[in-house]
Amino acid sequence: MDAILSGQLLAAALVTGALYALTALGLNLVYGTMRLLNVAHGDLVMIGAYVAFWAFTLLALSPLLSMFAAAAIAALFGLALYYGLFRRLLEGGKAAQRLEANSLLLFFAVSVIVQNVAALQFSGTPRGFQYLGDVYRFGNVAVTGNRIAAFAVAMVLCFGIMAFLRFHVMGLAIKALIQRRDAAAIVGINVERVQILTLCLGFATAAVAGALVSMTEQISPFMGFPFTIAAFVVIILGGLGNVTGGIVAGFLLGALETYGVALTSSAYRSILIYGVFVLILLVRPQGLLGGRRIVR
Amino acid sequence: MIRKLSFAIAATAALAVAASAESVKIGFSLAKTGLFAAGAPSQLNAYELWREQVNAKGGLNLAGTKRMVEFVQYDDQSNAGNAVRIYEKLITDDKVNLLLAPWGTPHHFAVAAVLEKYKFPMVGNTAASVQLREIKPGYIWFTTSAIPDKMAVEMAAMMKANGIKTAALVANVLPLAKEIKAALLPELKKNGIELKVNEEYPPDIKDMTAMLTKVKAAAPQAVIVLSYPSDSVLYAKQAKEMGIAAPFQFVAIGPTIDFFAKVVGPSANGFVTMGHWSPAKADWKRAKPFYDSYVKKFNEKPDYLDSVVSYMSCEILEQAVAKAGLDREKLRQAIQTMTFETINGPVKFQGVQNTVTPTAFLQIQGNELQLVWPKSIATSAFKPKTGW
Repeated sequence: MDAILSGQLLAAALVTGALYALTALGLNLVYGTMRLLNVAHGDLVMIGAYVAFWAFTLLALSPLLSMFAAAAIAALFGLALYYGLFRRLLEGGKAAQRLEANSLLLFFAVSVIVQNVAALQFSGTPRGFQYLGDVYRFGNVAVTGNRIAAFAVAMVLCFGIMAFLRFHVMGLAIKALIQRRDAAAIVGINVERVQILTLCLGFATAAVAGALVSMTEQISPFMGFPFTIAAFVVIILGGLGNVTGGIVAGFLLGALETYGVALTSSAYRSILIYGVFVLILLVRPQGLLGGRRIVR
Repeated sequence: MIRKLSFAIAATAALAVAASAESVKIGFSLAKTGLFAAGAPSQLNAYELWREQVNAKGGLNLAGTKRMVEFVQYDDQSNAGNAVRIYEKLITDDKVNLLLAPWGTPHHFAVAAVLEKYKFPMVGNTAASVQLREIKPGYIWFTTSAIPDKMAVEMAAMMKANGIKTAALVANVLPLAKEIKAALLPELKKNGIELKVNEEYPPDIKDMTAMLTKVKAAAPQAVIVLSYPSDSVLYAKQAKEMGIAAPFQFVAIGPTIDFFAKVVGPSANGFVTMGHWSPAKADWKRAKPFYDSYVKKFNEKPDYLDSVVSYMSCEILEQAVAKAGLDREKLRQAIQTMTFETINGPVKFQGVQNTVTPTAFLQIQGNELQLVWPKSIATSAFKPKTGW
């Protein structure tokens, strides 16, 4: 029982939760505004991780700096996808009505292509580097520097984006689009601009999460899938399109994973996560914090 | 001028035809993309190094005549079904002269039937499972000695020899880890080693804090982590964070691969791992030159498991065709009966298995991997892990 109350578990739950929250945030924004189911989201995490890895290995650049480059590269990729693929599909007509379902397939293709291009370019060899690996002690809690840094950056970004959505005019426009897409256009919001901004922002946050993860894990072209799954679980728990709900759900999932495993066994990790996931879908399909159904 | 140029082109083309007509075609599939793509590069690198070395010597000696080596390779997308189709195509359509192995246990098992069907001998490499003994012997052989049940016996013996009385076991649920675990539990009992923690975890684990809290509370003398590369890194980082103090820490797959030292750094010193090869083994004359040329060509260290067993399979093929040539039946007999000189010392097969190379363990000491068990081939003595 002492173990359950230990600060060590709390620290682990917070770090895991913050990374889940950040990863899911981007997915939520893209789904909320454009109704695109981005199953390639985890691959953006992978791209961010590789940017950080190469920047560190070739230029000796800290991941805390190269994460800006990772964000920019992912945002450009988002821009290219928008103009190359989704713009025409979002414009209207029959394709737009089927877009939500089709986006799943389209992003699945994007995911396969991105993964395999990465595998061919960088080879499948796992890679990694050491950065801020020293252990810091707070009482009887020990945490490595890179996990503290990852937690701090993820928190700043999550709350920064929440503030942006609440106080900035573009943020309000994004929220308007999430809440009532048709009405947003009628009141004069430039839907296309907001969509581009959200797509870039969503992609960029995933890449930043990747740069953070690269400090603590090995990276490979196929590392993205678990992040995609975790992000989907989080945004469905928190309510699709509900940004605050997603952040809370990220921490809930982190706690569920850490404490659930501590109380039972690591073997039950997946059963716990998906069990709770299915339960929530049955009992509260709008998500834990989803006040109003946005799903259509 | 134009006439001269076209003559030159024609001459070059003719030369190219002559070269390819004389070259010996060696086919294989490998997991360039998909689930196993992370494992395949250390195998392909070994193949490419070998080809370069053979061609630099004037080609592959086929019972007296030398021919340049040419590879015919396909991506099997980590799908064993694709590997079966590719090996059929290599044999019947590309008409390759020789075959090298695909990557991984399931792929080896899948292509074994194709080899049997066409009576085409192939020396396998990157497969480790007790089930390989169930494959009908004849056209496939395995160079590795890291077979789970043998490893279990040796590991328990090594722990006992070093005075270990208590252990914690944390194991991934993937097949190789499961096989080792199943064999290890009775061996620990037999050697009087008490198991204080016995936990399993899924392959996509992202945080081990909860599991390691249990390990730390039990304070065992040994921690046995039956892990794969990504969770090996996770263990190393989080065990350091939590200050797991066991003097014997075994981490199954990962520490032999070049990236591991780069991610984990000097805190990996003291980890014991799977592996039966080290360049420090002076009486394996080919070991150090292989290591040096690999590092020179690829600017990274070879994987002490996969690169080594893959290169060994090339060496065995090279020595077998030097005696038997390309006749498949003669080649099969040569592989079955000859004793081969490899980077891992002498190799001889009985049935499908390499019965000469002992099942062994490596330990990271001073950032280098040393053979520490069994004593007969050790390059250094086991040193208890003293800290992070």
